[in-house]
Amino acid sequence: MPMWFARGLRRGIVTTRYPARPEPSAAGLPTPPAFDAQRIDAALADRLCELCPSRALRLVKGDGEAGGDVLVFDVGACTACGRCQEAAPGAVTASGEFELAATARGHLVKRIPLAEARP
Amino acid sequence: MSGNDMAASGGAGPATGPALGGRAGEAGQEQRVAAELRARVARQFGRSLHIRTLDTGSCAVCEQEIRLLAAPHYDLHRLGFFFTPAPRHADLLMVTGPMIRAFGVAARKTFDAMPGPKIVVATGACALGGVYPADAFTHGGVGEVLPVDVWIPGCPPSPLALLQGLLVAVDRLAEKVAGLTFIAGAQPGEVPE
Repeated sequence: MPMWFARGLRRGIVTTRYPARPEPSAAGLPTPPAFDAQRIDAALADRLCELCPSRALRLVKGDGEAGGDVLVFDVGACTACGRCQEAAPGAVTASGEFELAATARGHLVKRIPLAEARP
Repeated sequence: MSGNDMAASGGAGPATGPALGGRAGEAGQEQRVAAELRARVARQFGRSLHIRTLDTGSCAVCEQEIRLLAAPHYDLHRLGFFFTPAPRHADLLMVTGPMIRAFGVAARKTFDAMPGPKIVVATGACALGGVYPADAFTHGGVGEVLPVDVWIPGCPPSPLALLQGLLVAVDRLAEKVAGLTFIAGAQPGEVPE
């Protein structure tokens, strides 16, 4: 009898599939930002758009449901450089998401409705 | 999937060509047939998929992460993925870099040399059109030249992200990003069709 067969029966499956539980090494990965919409107004969003080196952020004025401004975040273009997180600590934080494969380019473009500018 | 007979079912960009059957009644049936075909292709690729990597002007960090896939920690061979040096043996084309104009023809020839059905995966922020806008030197993204099926963001995408992307490409994992909002504190929404 082939030895590998006996060994396989004795040890069972020793490899695993794609991590079923969170992978510890993933905790240190740079990840795209998540935005706290309540703490970002048009002025700050403008600054973030200018900061972004990979054109992942775009501000569309008056495109929201109630005529508010919308920050359009292209996850595909984001390099997770962290410049926006440094510029607006608290309002922009790391999302912690790294499993970002998409079957359509449009799935990677996110719309973030912003808070109204304070008078 | 972008096999010769599946050109209308997915992907983006000018290489995809016009959709077949313009009438509304045929559209439903066409989608059903496309879904069946996708499932059949996924079954075929489920246990053995050969990958050809193509560098279209990247800084080579994406390539480093791709190489790490074969290291013991990630060990992509256990999942039935293998690298091949020839496009004629490849089922999946993993493209990195912003697709410089000097490489457009070569990329197209590589794609044409692959037997169908075939999958194109755009890898990294450059390939997704993020870092370099279209100009005299680059097409500004892989999607401008090849019909892309799966997009993997990241600069560079970590080996885990690449592994997830490959499993999404062969339908062994569901796409996750479509349901994410990237609004702090928000719950993931519904995955759009």
